[in-house]
Amino acid sequence: MAADASTPSGRELDTEPRHNPGGQRSVVLLSIAAAGLWAFVTLGLDPRDLVPGAGGLTVARELFGHALAPAWTYESPDLPPGIRPLPIQALAAAWHTVTLAAAATGLSVAVGLLLACAASTAPWSEDPWAHRRASGWIRALVFGCVRLLIAGMRSVHELLWAVLLLAAVGLEPLSAVVAIAIPHGGILAKIFAEILDEAPRDAALALHAAGASPSRVFLFGLLPRALPDMCAYAAYRFECALRSSAVLGFFGFPTLGFFIAASFENLYYGELWTYLYTLCALVALADAWSGALRRRLVG
Amino acid sequence: MTDQDREIARLHRRRPRSAFVRWSAAGSLGLVAVAWADPALWGAEILSPRRLENLRRFLGEIVPYPLQGQHFDGAVAFRWAMDILRDKGWEALEVTLALSVAAIVLAAGTALVLALAAARTLANPEPYVPSPRPAGPVARWWWRSGVTGSRAALIVIRSLPEYVWAFLLLAILGPSPWAIVLALALHNLGILGRLNAEVIEDLDPQPLAALRGLGASRTQLAVTGIFPLALPRFLLYFFYRWETCVREATVLGMLGVSSLGYWIVDARARNHYDTLVFLVLLGAVLVLLGDIVSAVARAMIRRS
Repeated sequence: MAADASTPSGRELDTEPRHNPGGQRSVVLLSIAAAGLWAFVTLGLDPRDLVPGAGGLTVARELFGHALAPAWTYESPDLPPGIRPLPIQALAAAWHTVTLAAAATGLSVAVGLLLACAASTAPWSEDPWAHRRASGWIRALVFGCVRLLIAGMRSVHELLWAVLLLAAVGLEPLSAVVAIAIPHGGILAKIFAEILDEAPRDAALALHAAGASPSRVFLFGLLPRALPDMCAYAAYRFECALRSSAVLGFFGFPTLGFFIAASFENLYYGELWTYLYTLCALVALADAWSGALRRRLVG
Repeated sequence: MTDQDREIARLHRRRPRSAFVRWSAAGSLGLVAVAWADPALWGAEILSPRRLENLRRFLGEIVPYPLQGQHFDGAVAFRWAMDILRDKGWEALEVTLALSVAAIVLAAGTALVLALAAARTLANPEPYVPSPRPAGPVARWWWRSGVTGSRAALIVIRSLPEYVWAFLLLAILGPSPWAIVLALALHNLGILGRLNAEVIEDLDPQPLAALRGLGASRTQLAVTGIFPLALPRFLLYFFYRWETCVREATVLGMLGVSSLGYWIVDARARNHYDTLVFLVLLGAVLVLLGDIVSAVARAMIRRS
């Protein structure tokens, strides 16, 4: 679990002296360097191309020239009547971004939890209630299918899900929610299953010894032990959903990305920075919140 | 009430509680409820006949073109798939993979340096051992603002999504792979820099204090002490972020570089839904392969 979370804590790696200190490391580092070299050659990356052309320079100068001067009023000369003031508009876009992310996270947590229960080995792997198990191959079949489903869900990027859903049903707010919730549900299911597998079994075994049914052992013995880690990870996922929800604006949903794209294409760089800073503030806020929550839950 | 009940009640009262966690939980649940209750989410025509017709047509057209309205024939489907792979599939896969590798190598290399500047244990006037000549207030202020500045820079560059970076950089650099590579690298630099700085801060201080006590400079500390001690964790994060880079690289091509995303958008524009779905699946296979490689590498590092 640790390596997948945003801020894993604790030291899993010992720093004891080894027989061959650094032996495998140099292999790994050299392969990374070789892979990097291959990538640069394949893409034909030339440092000289980093200098932008004349048009690019103008854009860059305009763009960074406005970095410290975000707009407070619209730069457009002809405004439609009754339009909201720019700061309010930015806040409204931020609110849309947040609600979209929240709806998606809520859905993905529910889906992830359900799939994780099926994909986790914990509820039935330890053998206290081995004699009540369903026959082996059914279990293996369910387990395999669920794992495959999870892998399929999370290996397609949310923007690709969005493209598929846009092609299938069109521009509906709900398709943005579903587009984020599918891959995030898959990722949450994977991580939740790992957390359930690694959660301490003390309470579960005690409840089982006291004669509780498997569902109660799971609900009151295993789940509460895994819940803090799950909540911390779900909070981190919300932060990711926030970024995805902002980016979905580029596809026409009314989140921050929509206004970023629109103001950039209209060359209103001041407005662009207003929206960019709003996005930065939003993500930084979510980052601080999920970090604080993680420290209290996981320590 | 028996003694046992009283004991249970006493233990219940003494359970660890946190107001922050409670308010967070209540707030999150409330936010999700508000978000789902929002009428704007439930578009007026979500189940209208037009939408359903659209969905039905889409499902009909994701069947490989030569097989539409035909009986299934494995050989035809295979030839169709190989044609797509030869036309653009292999090249798109190669470019997508190369984008992710170039970006993560660039990000990790830069993050090594930035993490040193953002680690409070190293970037202070007297790292690890007190100096015989205590630092003055100016030096303290100087080092502290250095750490704060580099941390703030890391926050800003990681809070903008890769897609936004790519969008802005493409306008400046023109349609070159550099824009995508830099966009991916910048966002991941922000994340890796923060994570690596935390790794450095959590290192066992004793060997480093010994080195410092022998008169090592900060550079010598970094090269001979910090990097060897922290490398395994750096590598874990490197592979973990590379996984997400592969995922992101599949979509960033949408902005106009010939990776998978470019051909996916192209297929969508031509209404070639069969090709669209095939390329999406191709991307999924690449992402899963990346996951496996990364998982194996991380297991190796943990064991070594």
